Amino acid sequence: MTQQSPETWLNDYGDLLYRYALLRVRSETTAEDLVQETLLAGFVSWDKFTGKSSVSTWLVGILKHKIIDFFRKHRHEVKQIQTDELADDILAYQFDNEGNWQVDLVEWDMPDTQMNQQQFSKIFNMCISRLPQRMADLLFLRSIENVPMTECCDLLGFESDNQLWVTLSRTRVKLRQCLNTHWFEQG
Amino acid sequence: MRHCKQIVDLVSQEMESKLPWSIRMEVKMHLLMCKNCHRYAKQLKFMQAELNTLEQNLNTVSLAEPAKERIKKTLTLAINESTND
Ligand SMILES: [Zn+2]
Repeated sequence: MTQQSPETWLNDYGDLLYRYALLRVRSETTAEDLVQETLLAGFVSWDKFTGKSSVSTWLVGILKHKIIDFFRKHRHEVKQIQTDELADDILAYQFDNEGNWQVDLVEWDMPDTQMNQQQFSKIFNMCISRLPQRMADLLFLRSIENVPMTECCDLLGFESDNQLWVTLSRTRVKLRQCLNTHWFEQG
Repeated sequence: MRHCKQIVDLVSQEMESKLPWSIRMEVKMHLLMCKNCHRYAKQLKFMQAELNTLEQNLNTVSLAEPAKERIKKTLTLAINESTND
């Protein structure tokens, strides 16, 4: 395979890499820097590209490492969890005192056309951006990037696995609630 | 017997880790009998799949032109340096 130019990668995959990074680091300048670092790393290690996956998949793989490195570098900025952060209120309003659902959940009509899908992705992105930072970080690092539990706790300031599980569950409750309100209930 | 609020947490945890067999069975049984938790579990799975491919569908977000130019310059510089070696 001939050497590809990083400039071509920038044109072809720059936006995809940028979105991937921006969703996770939530800062435009940081996301831009990560795209640049990824393309440079790709250029330097091009001889390691085996062609088993597509170039874009390979570049996203490099970017994943860069993102986790970014979280490691900023680890010391992670504050200790405040008790109110773990407060029960997010769950409480959906359940009665005995822990049963207070409202009936409506069945979701999944987005079917491409147009719908794009609109839905916009809403989904908005709902993620409304999550508290730590919740969003947790959602991506643990459930998408599969960062091991101990490292996840360390990077995000959780004191126990259980605290992490409970927070992740509440993150999903919050996200589901937002999607339900802003997409599925808007007939 | 666990109530819905606890099942909701277990459904979430089950997506990431393997729960003990007895708990998995209890969740399964609960989901068979409880319409709300069943829907909740289904919606979580859907959310997870969407999250996995979000960057592909989010085409309203893209690199700003100035940033693109800046990155292009840095890349060209790095490539030239490496070929001069
Ligand atoms: Zn239930």
